[in-house]
Amino acid sequence: MQETKVVRPFPFFRAGARASQPQLSKPILVLEDVYKFFRPDQPTLRGVDLKVERGEFAFITGPSGAGKSTLLKLVYRELTVDEGRVLFCGRDICRLTDKSIPFLRRNLGVVFQDFRIIDHWTVFENVAVALEIVSMPKRLIRSRVAEALERVGLAGRGPELITNLSGGEQQRVAVARAIVPEPALILADEPTGNLDPHLAIDILTLFEEINSTGTTVLFATHDHSLISKRDHRLISIDEGRVLESQQGLKHWPGSGIHTMAG
Amino acid sequence: MDLKNAIVRARRGLREERRLYVVAVTSLAVAFICLGATLLGVTNLDAAATRWGQSGRITVFLKDGADAQDVAQLRVVLEGLADVEAVTHVTPSQARNSFLEEADVGADLSALPSDVFPASLEVTLVNGVTRERGESIASRLAQFRAVSDVESYGAWFQKLDQLLWGARMLALGLALLVMFCVVAVIGNTIRLAVARRRQEIEVMKLCGATNGFVRGPFVLEGMFQGFASALVAVLALLVGYLALHESVDSTLAALTGSRVVFLGAWTLVALLVGGALIGAIGSAVSVRRYLSV
Ligand SMILES: Nc1ncnc2c1ncn2[C@@H]1O[C@H](COP(=O)(O)OP(=O)(O)O)[C@@H](O)[C@H]1O
Ligand SMILES: [Mg+2]
Repeated sequence: MQETKVVRPFPFFRAGARASQPQLSKPILVLEDVYKFFRPDQPTLRGVDLKVERGEFAFITGPSGAGKSTLLKLVYRELTVDEGRVLFCGRDICRLTDKSIPFLRRNLGVVFQDFRIIDHWTVFENVAVALEIVSMPKRLIRSRVAEALERVGLAGRGPELITNLSGGEQQRVAVARAIVPEPALILADEPTGNLDPHLAIDILTLFEEINSTGTTVLFATHDHSLISKRDHRLISIDEGRVLESQQGLKHWPGSGIHTMAG
Repeated sequence: MDLKNAIVRARRGLREERRLYVVAVTSLAVAFICLGATLLGVTNLDAAATRWGQSGRITVFLKDGADAQDVAQLRVVLEGLADVEAVTHVTPSQARNSFLEEADVGADLSALPSDVFPASLEVTLVNGVTRERGESIASRLAQFRAVSDVESYGAWFQKLDQLLWGARMLALGLALLVMFCVVAVIGNTIRLAVARRRQEIEVMKLCGATNGFVRGPFVLEGMFQGFASALVAVLALLVGYLALHESVDSTLAALTGSRVVFLGAWTLVALLVGGALIGAIGSAVSVRRYLSV
């Protein structure tokens, strides 16, 4: 893990502020005894404790409805915890005001199963939007978007319309949009769920390449064929609780994993 | 807020929603035309009232058998007043002739004898003499021996004032109604636009756009619609004015001696700026309500 590679062009949480040295040395993400209730009797997350270091790549797994998306939503403040704390770079994001949330999100890149890109925009426009919202100069946007498109294997495809792209290419556009502001943390919520198995591996590899430049990646998936191909840290959610393995499925303690995450 | 970016996005929005916006602008332009037409009426009434009010006139009707000495003395008194600019003696036959000239009636009135027209002194007041001052001069003139009656046109001015007041109230009422229409119509189109661009809004918020950044383009789009509606209305009224004013002018000139005028520069500015402002308010209210974040 190389912290120097984490470029942080954006103000940290609030305009004008930068991440201080102590903040950089803290784990990038910490969940402390987090509870999330959608129904009062049945918490979706119950007492989740989690620590993610800078530069890590971690799978988040668990059956459908386990709470993977919920956990990620707590991080990008789509949802707030009912109990406990979520610390991003040492700061409790549950206490952020509505006005500060955009500044949190500029430090995060989020990718979804359904891509969430705008069909009637070009590839360039879909990626550039992440920089336009911070009023970056046009020329800088052009070069940064070109660079991001190159990283996801879409070099020179900027002027094309989204409708002319295949599913795998559309997801690459979404990844480019997530990485173009060079965020510290990438949250991927089942990014391969809508893709063929070989495309899924391509996208996974793409996230690993992004991770190799120092960006922390949380990759949520329930696809075991994908998880079993890699030795990344595995965070499994079951019945609202977190079970962990530091080195992939092979090293999972006990034998219950397949039924659990099936 | 990043204004340049907001303008770029608003232009894109206007292009993408142009059908929706053309409908809104057309219907609002009709509302603005009603308001503008009323304001045009007020402006013209006001102009006429001002013109007549400034060129104050008093007609002093003389008794039939008035003593020439008394009349001459009255003239001297009148000409001595600082407020009086000129005094003209109108004999019955002059009165008859000018009546026959002006009254373009079909019937043959040449048989009218001149003694139905009383002799009079036409008093022209100095420009800028207030109506109250004119009234007080008139009431004093009535006490002279040679005078049978004094006409200071007070009742007439009162009627004009009432008419003007009514027209102003009508314009005010219409202005409020138009304001309401603009807020309602633009609010509604912006609500639709927000719904149609929900996906884009979601993406921008996800990337960390502030509320101001997301709302800005919508407010500009509403502002543009308000401005465009007012502009279309003003242009339509101008075309109407240019096409009709000559034919109306000659009739009006014969009737009242004044000409038709178009809306004043400040009224035009107020219409256009007001349209833009209310449009912006309407859309701001709407995005605030429908862009819950
Ligand atoms: N907004 C919500 N309102 C009510 N229940 C929700 C909401 N979001 C998620 N849930 C519930 O929380 C549980 C976990 O959902 P989710 O986090 O989407 O699971 P996963 O992503 O692991 O499939 C599910 O049972 C789901 O029904
Ligand atoms: Mg999910």
